[in-house]
Amino acid sequence: MAEAGAQAAIATAASPAKASAWRLRAGPANAVPIILFLLIGFAAPLLAVIGYSFMPPRTFGLWQAPTLSNYETVFNSTSYISFLWSLGLAALTVILLALICYPVAYGLARVFGRWSTLLTLLFTIPLFVSENVRLYGWILFFIKNGVLLGTLKSWFGIEIESWLFTEGIIVLGMVYVYLPFMLFPMTLGVSMVPNETRDAAFDLGATRWQVFKEVDLPLSMPGIIIGFLLSFVLAVGAIAEAKVLGGQQIIPITHDIEIAFTYAQNWPLGSALAVLLMLVIGALVLLVLRRFDLDVILGRR
Amino acid sequence: MTTRSPVIELRQITKTFGNFTAVHSIDLSIGESEFFTIVGPSGSGKTTVLRMLAGLESPTSGDILLRGQRINDVPANRRPTCMVFQSLALFPHRTVGQNIEFPLKIRDVAPAERKQRALQLMVQLRLPEDYYGKNVTKCSGGERQRVALARALAYNPDILFFDEPLSAIDYKLRKTLEKELKDIHRETGKTFVYITHSLEEAMVMSDRIGVMRSGRLVQVGTPNEIYTSPNSKFVSEFIGDVNIIPVRLNGSNKLHSDDLGAEFVAPGMPNGFSAGHLVVRPESLRIIDRREDAENVLTGKLYNEYALGSRIQYQVRVGEQVFIVERLRQQALNKQRDSDVMIGWNARDSILVGD
Amino acid sequence: MSPAERSQRWRRALLWAWALSVVVFMYLPAICLFLASSTSSRYFIFPITKWGFDWWQKTFNSFEIHTLFKTSISIALLVTVIAVVIAFFGALAFARYDWKGRSLYQKIVLLPIFFPQSVLGLALLLWFNALGLPLSWKTAVFAHLVWIVPVVTLVISIQVYSFDPALEEAAFDLGATRWQVMKEVTLPVLFPGIFSGALFAFLLSWGNFPLSLFTTGADTTIPEYLYAKMVAGYTPGVPVLGTVSTITAAILLLGGYGLIVLRRRARLK
Repeated sequence: MAEAGAQAAIATAASPAKASAWRLRAGPANAVPIILFLLIGFAAPLLAVIGYSFMPPRTFGLWQAPTLSNYETVFNSTSYISFLWSLGLAALTVILLALICYPVAYGLARVFGRWSTLLTLLFTIPLFVSENVRLYGWILFFIKNGVLLGTLKSWFGIEIESWLFTEGIIVLGMVYVYLPFMLFPMTLGVSMVPNETRDAAFDLGATRWQVFKEVDLPLSMPGIIIGFLLSFVLAVGAIAEAKVLGGQQIIPITHDIEIAFTYAQNWPLGSALAVLLMLVIGALVLLVLRRFDLDVILGRR
Repeated sequence: MTTRSPVIELRQITKTFGNFTAVHSIDLSIGESEFFTIVGPSGSGKTTVLRMLAGLESPTSGDILLRGQRINDVPANRRPTCMVFQSLALFPHRTVGQNIEFPLKIRDVAPAERKQRALQLMVQLRLPEDYYGKNVTKCSGGERQRVALARALAYNPDILFFDEPLSAIDYKLRKTLEKELKDIHRETGKTFVYITHSLEEAMVMSDRIGVMRSGRLVQVGTPNEIYTSPNSKFVSEFIGDVNIIPVRLNGSNKLHSDDLGAEFVAPGMPNGFSAGHLVVRPESLRIIDRREDAENVLTGKLYNEYALGSRIQYQVRVGEQVFIVERLRQQALNKQRDSDVMIGWNARDSILVGD
Repeated sequence: MSPAERSQRWRRALLWAWALSVVVFMYLPAICLFLASSTSSRYFIFPITKWGFDWWQKTFNSFEIHTLFKTSISIALLVTVIAVVIAFFGALAFARYDWKGRSLYQKIVLLPIFFPQSVLGLALLLWFNALGLPLSWKTAVFAHLVWIVPVVTLVISIQVYSFDPALEEAAFDLGATRWQVMKEVTLPVLFPGIFSGALFAFLLSWGNFPLSLFTTGADTTIPEYLYAKMVAGYTPGVPVLGTVSTITAAILLLGGYGLIVLRRRARLK
């Protein structure tokens, strides 16, 4: 930030006062609408949640005497199991996603040439269809007499139990829903590796595997890390997959939160759970995003 | 002339990309320990040729021989060659030392040995020892050049390739590095194959130069040969300012310029010559007082002058045509603009080219 | 062909095979939805014996569905307009101007994207309640915006990064007022990014579930309706709507992208 200030100072000295003053103030000026909006729409609700978490259980007002009883309940209850399930499932999802997406990202950035844009579009389209609708498609695929089992039965005479409502299916659903969120940052990361640097490593004698290990992987790391972060954070907040595909097998933390808000009518408890979730996510995001220079990643090389 | 044994030979090398032919059937022989530069404008195919030599591109047809052995199928990472890229292609996430040691590390050389070699190279390339642990992105342009060169030299390749590494550097630094490169060539005794679009740069460093145009090799020779005996208008225009007069053979077997309406004495005519260009270098053109002082004379007006440090150039307009005369600073003219001047040259100071 | 080239061909083929498998994986549900929607029987039994598109007719004629469409579209359109305006200025601050605090600003703007939507929906529910606001499709608009504005800002910023500031300076220097510069230079040059942003905003709002679930109150959007139906038991109407949803998204995206490409080609002639 000191650099930006110094740069601005040089700009002031070099160009006429009016134009540079314009440039100095235009930045913050343009930022105002969105910052105001986010204050009211993002910061405030989160603060409200934090506030609610300190309210007496089963109440609905915000202006009461604060108490820690909700947090006590959380730590004494089995909610931590839900937490662990959520975190565990998210972690598994993310690892699978990384393995599945890297070859695709590599292909998009390096190999597929003019087909890359079309392929990217193809990957983007499902994003815009509501996730519960897409997950329903999987139900149709896996359900008894559905596409998979029906085909097996009628063509091959095989009858097996449906795979629905197992942990495996939930992971499949999560991998499915969050794939684009791992794929796109990764593709961006891979495209950041300059061709000549790879050529140079190869020319200097490295095998293909060494080129990958020494050049591709480290230099595409920013994209990979963002992909990891984004898909993990979103996966932790997954709610539909478990419900739609998993039935009552697994209760992730978001489900606990939702129940507290709806059936149990216990907003403060739900808020406490939500706050804990936010803390985990917030810590992760802060840790990772702090080291990144978004200008370099997003465009201005 | 090269009396060295050829270390690289290109025989009928052609490269096509779809419908486009980047390189047309090139034959070239480069000698052991030679500094050979391929010069040409953008799109002439020089980078393609270099990449084929390095193994990053394979020829559509033709053979590449290394000391008599055909190496078309040998991939880049197994050829005893190393390339310094235009962008330098240094590993931004590594230090100077790690960059230089890279070729050794991937060949499983022990760390202590690697470090010793790296430091040795750093001394040779005049990089301070404490740069060993410095991140390459923090080095200056000239320093990064040296790191790239050290890295290419690390495992002692026989041949080094250079893909216009100095094109993005400012003038002064470039001039310094050009001379340094030539010194390093002498010190290491390796074969250097260099490409650039600047003939001037090539002349400073090279033992021999090959001029390329639209995928073809148009002339190969020593810097002196290229300068004094260009074989075409294209090659002669490649070095800075030059005066070119389109001429044809007229009835009385003299060279005639239609634009200038004058006849010229030629330095010697190739057989079957009918039309072409007469090339006179600015330093061969003189400002004369009397017609008898030169074999070829033209009259014109002094239009402008350009100070170039140790020399001065004068622009003289003869009709529509522009001529550049170059004199040493001490011999500056005392004439006004738009005054009449006579310019002249002797036949042996000019070159006749086809086209 | 040299062995090196041969192995390179193999690698490319494998990469293509992998990528295409992933594409198929992505579209398998959509295919299943389509198959389910094309049976005329009440239940879904595969392989399909009774082909028919009766359920399509029933769905399109249903009044309930029409109301749902209206709700979803109203929300989506409003979200698009507001998001594009706010995000446009936000993107300029993100990528065009150098100012103190910009890198912090960039991270703040992206924060809502790195946040689970269901938790955000619940938080907004609480907030609306604390403010005493009744839930309706209007509160859903606001909720959608919280997530969508940062996304659109990101999309437009990517275009803004390659915007040459010299263009604006030249116009300014030639005598244009700030408004003219915006109208004649900035907006036209950034148009593809703005257009993409608008497309994203519309589609993301159209298909959003978690945020709508908690903030629409009595109003219902299509995703919410589908969810309720899904949880209740099988209805053929669901696959129909699901397929319509997918096809609409595909048409809008491919069409939007096609427009951008055509526009670029026309300009280059």
